[in-house]
Amino acid sequence: MGGMHGFGRVVRPGSELPYHERWEPRVFGLHLLVGFEGLGAGPGGRQVREEMDPASYLSSSYYERWTFSAEQRLLRKGVIAPGEVEGMMARLAAGEDAPEHEDPPMSARMIERLQRRAPMDPPPADARFAPGDRVRVRRMRPQGHTRCPRYARGVSGTVERVHGADRLPDLTTYGKPAQPEPVYSVAFASQDLWGPTDEPPFTVLLDLWDSYLEAP
Amino acid sequence: MSAAHHHEPPPSQAELRARALEALLAERGLVSTDAIDAVVSYYEQDVGPQNGARAVARAWVDEAYRERLLERPGDALAELGFGGMEGHNMTVVVNTPAVHNVIVCTLCSCYPWPVLGLPPSWYKSEAYRARVVAEPRAVLREFGLQLDDEVDVRIWDSSAEMRYLVLPMRPPDSDGLAEDELASRVTRDCMIGTAVP
Repeated sequence: MGGMHGFGRVVRPGSELPYHERWEPRVFGLHLLVGFEGLGAGPGGRQVREEMDPASYLSSSYYERWTFSAEQRLLRKGVIAPGEVEGMMARLAAGEDAPEHEDPPMSARMIERLQRRAPMDPPPADARFAPGDRVRVRRMRPQGHTRCPRYARGVSGTVERVHGADRLPDLTTYGKPAQPEPVYSVAFASQDLWGPTDEPPFTVLLDLWDSYLEAP
Repeated sequence: MSAAHHHEPPPSQAELRARALEALLAERGLVSTDAIDAVVSYYEQDVGPQNGARAVARAWVDEAYRERLLERPGDALAELGFGGMEGHNMTVVVNTPAVHNVIVCTLCSCYPWPVLGLPPSWYKSEAYRARVVAEPRAVLREFGLQLDDEVDVRIWDSSAEMRYLVLPMRPPDSDGLAEDELASRVTRDCMIGTAVP
């Protein structure tokens, strides 16, 4: 979404809070549970939310998108069947109390997982690029998930740092094999991204996998 | 006159759907209501910007800690008990009189949960994601932050697994303040870069 026009003010009443509605924190918790308890299949939440068509994506609230991705993951696993959510909606709308379920070990498991540490691998000795190198972001138009922002494709920048090594999400999202590859912090001059702007020149730094980059 | 009835508005479709999804899974014993409560409560009470503020205040008063925080942030934060999901890989970026840092995730809403809790709605908004990488000073002005033209603005787009925390400058009028008092000066927005202490 970087650089797109038409979105108006950032600061709006209530925008300092993480949630707007009472149901939103429950979707957050539910989504994490679906992930950690193995109740979902296929790509993860971020990737599934990217599958929404642009009109639906932009007209949904943040947590409506999370409801969508949680539901999709459950459907893909076969944990729920099409129509079952609508069936429960009808029961709740008719005044039925929502079924509840207590499972304290599940609560303890969740907190433990949220606290677990899993850093990426250290930078490899044979990384293609080093701090100070000029690199260019490849032009691409991938069908599926990528973490290469559109606004940087084709633009040249300077490697600031090699963060570490990580597997390419464009592949791992779909269960395809990938070896860890270097992830770089790359600095881009604002005028190279946007041309001359009204503001004094500034720098945008992106974290980019090696596969997204080429020598300029 | 009869007593007025207090009519709660009917739930929106979005709310009904969310509640139905949880109810369906609870009915089948697949998710527990208390586990959802625990996750929500964890990020409302146990984890939040008070964590990041403690690390910042410690770095302000303890030069050796500051060095550790900048060199090996994961370990330095773990010293204070902070770490975990969405904070596996941390980089601390330092504000100086010459450099002001701002954090964003243009692709979605990646944010360093273990040190800041859950992000505010504005951070997740299309407006912030679209505009802060293209017109950062205009966005900062909405927050009441005006920077001199000579200050270098650096925007960090969290496009991979690295998560960022801004180390703000210690306010000039804070000499002699205890670490706790210093921490209370460090708001969440200071550590995202849309405010200064």
